[in-house]
Formats: sequence, C-alpha cells, structure tokens
Amino acid sequence: MRFVDEFRDAELGRALAGEILAAVDPGRHYKIMEVCGGHTHSIYKYGVDDLLPDNVELVHGPGCPVCVIPMGRVDDGIAIAHQPGVIFTCFGDMMRVPGSETTLLDAKAAGADVRMVYSPLDALRLARAHPDREVVFFAIGFETTAPSTALTLKRAKAEGLTNFSCMCSHVTIVPPVRALLESPDLRLDGFIGPGHVSTVVGARPFEFIPATYGKPVVIAGFEPLDVLQAVHMILAQLREGRCEVENEYKRVVPYEGNQRALEVMAEVFELRPHFEWRGLGFISHSGLKLSAAYADFDAERRFSVPGIRVADPKACQCGEVLKGVIKPYECKVFGTACTPERPIGTCMVSSEGACAAYYNFGRVREVV
Amino acid sequence: MSFHCTTCADDGTPMRVLRIRHDLALCEDDQGDHHTVEIALVDVEPGDAVLVHAGVALVAL
Repeated sequence: MRFVDEFRDAELGRALAGEILAAVDPGRHYKIMEVCGGHTHSIYKYGVDDLLPDNVELVHGPGCPVCVIPMGRVDDGIAIAHQPGVIFTCFGDMMRVPGSETTLLDAKAAGADVRMVYSPLDALRLARAHPDREVVFFAIGFETTAPSTALTLKRAKAEGLTNFSCMCSHVTIVPPVRALLESPDLRLDGFIGPGHVSTVVGARPFEFIPATYGKPVVIAGFEPLDVLQAVHMILAQLREGRCEVENEYKRVVPYEGNQRALEVMAEVFELRPHFEWRGLGFISHSGLKLSAAYADFDAERRFSVPGIRVADPKACQCGEVLKGVIKPYECKVFGTACTPERPIGTCMVSSEGACAAYYNFGRVREVV
Repeated sequence: MSFHCTTCADDGTPMRVLRIRHDLALCEDDQGDHHTVEIALVDVEPGDAVLVHAGVALVAL
C-alpha cells in the first residue's frame, strides 16, 4: 500500500543502516529519545535497534497517554462507572490500567456498564441511543486525540444532549519534554519528534528544544525506514554542528499543523494549572480540562469522584522507564510479577508502553 | 486496520474517501473495511486519502 510498503523496504533499510554506521563517531556514545510510544513499538516490532551501531542508544520517552495516567484518575473513572444509570466508555487499553485496587475491566465484571469505544463519536452515538442513561467518555490522549474529543463535545452541545459528559484527562506533549530536559539524571543528544501529534500542533512547538536546550529534533513517521532516517538526520545535525527542528514526515505533517483542529481545541479546552503524570509527578500546564463554555459536559462536575492521589506501587519503576533512566528489563518486576496479562505498571498495559514492547518482542536478552 | 493502541498519538490509519455527507465521510482502509469518519478538520473530496485517528480525519494526504 502507498505510504506503507516503500517505508518497510529491507534493502533500503540495510543501506540506510550502513550510512548511519559510517556517520557515527566511534568514540562517542549517542542517546536519542523517541518521545512517542508509537516509535517505541515500531522500533521493537521491526528490530530497528538491531540495525543501529552499538554506540547509538534509543531511549524511550513518555509519549504513551495510557502509560502516564496516574492511579488516582483510574479510581475516579471506576467510581463514576459504578454510579447507577451510567454507561462508562473508554478506549480499549484503558480498561486494563490498574487503579489502586481494581481496573475498569474488573468494574465491568462486577456489574458496571463499561464499554470500549474506538472514538469519542461512538460514545456520543451511545448517548443518542440511550437517552435514559448517562454516557460518560474517559477522554485520554495527546493532541492527536484531543481534537476528536473536542469535535464530539461541540456536536453534543449543538444537539443539546444532556446525558453525555466527558472525564477529561487529555495531556499535551511539550511540558513533559521540557520537564525531561530539565531533569538532571538524563543526558540526551537528540529527539525523534512525535509524528501524528505534529499533524495537529505542527513543528513550531518543538523549536524551543534546539533554541533553549541545544538538542536536534527530527519529527518522524512510524515505519521502520522513517525511524532510521530520523536517526540518520539527527546524527547528521550533530556531526555538522547544526541544531534545528527537521521534518522527516513531510508526507503527513505540515509545519504549521492543523489550524482548524487547534481552533476547535482552544474553544473546548483550557489548560489545567497542573496535572499529575504517572512516574513524572505534577507538571504545570500539561493537562487539559473543559473550558467554561463546556463545563456542563464535565463528568467530574456531574458526578462525585474520590479525587484522591494514589502513590505509584513501590515495586513498579514506570517513572524511571518513562524518563528513559532505566531500560524496562532493569525493573525488578519486569516479566515476573508484571506482565501484559497482569500488569502492575501502565508501561506494561498499552502496546505502546516500553515494557510491553520489550516483553512482546523478546527484548529481554540482556538479562538471560 | 492498524494494530496500534487507539489512544496513542501514533495511531493513524490512511483511508480513501468514498462518499461525503455534511461533516461525515464514508472511508475505506487498506483492508477494504469501511468506516464513518468525521472530516470537519480537513478539506477533502471523494477519492482523496486522509489520515484517520479515533474516527477523525486529521490531515489530507
């Protein structure tokens, strides 16, 4: 298929890997962070890291929206799901994320009406079909997903639906990247920028990374050749002493983003003063809530929620994994107490989580 | 369909627009499956390719 097959060409991949090998300084160790969980998934699914020289290390960033949801918010969602008359809807991976005691899947087994949807628009359809029930959508995701929640809420308002609400846990990508750059325990040489977030926000929001922190950024697609090409472009910037935002994913990402999507988001959402990220703690202006004009659709206003902050489980080292400080297999519970079937940490839940990617694609050889 | 987690920023499925009615389009993915897609954020015509995430076309390809 166009846009896919040509970016999985093995021969081109090997040629590109050869160019990367020729481009690296053998006496230097390179640490490159892929911000987005989708890149992590592609890297291990296609074995991209096996094509890279030993001194080019890929570090996995915080860009999986499921992985960064703290336990307290899962508990809040479960509390709403148990209210009488509620149909609680969420994306599939969210159902298995552990709260302090149970998951949404456990809540469903216990009788709560929890349903998986592929789009917030599916939740809206449920609200239309069940006017006697309260339909709540657990909205999570970065700027790629936020426009679809925003459009859904606009539509709900236009239709005058009163039985639809949204538990807004959308997050934005720039504040955690800035927090990582400020973190003293991490030394990075460059970033592979998120591809589809950039279709919405464009490349401009990442310009502070080279400007303030002196690190190259290359926005990349998700096919194996995209990732290899991005690594090649970052290494070229480092070698030539350049430092800028480059767009490897021009076939999809316009430099200015999608203005219409940004406008609809600005109408429906506003920034929270601070938002808790699993493993990363509270980050200022990193989460979205519904704006005053859409406050009637805020599930956290409509229903009472515990709103209690729950500390991450002690054994789980998702925080260090999300910051790229440790590799998943270095976590004490990786592959033993914590597996995709019975995850302790969120990085093991989503297929985009670094731990699940390592587990599913056999990246455990360093410990056996 | 893409195997990725729906939520993740990377889950974008290229689809072809078949028919349009108001802000909704009937689209076909590479497997031949049909989907109803919100197209309020893009300007497209039948025959165009779009990148779809969580039921919404984010960009015309």
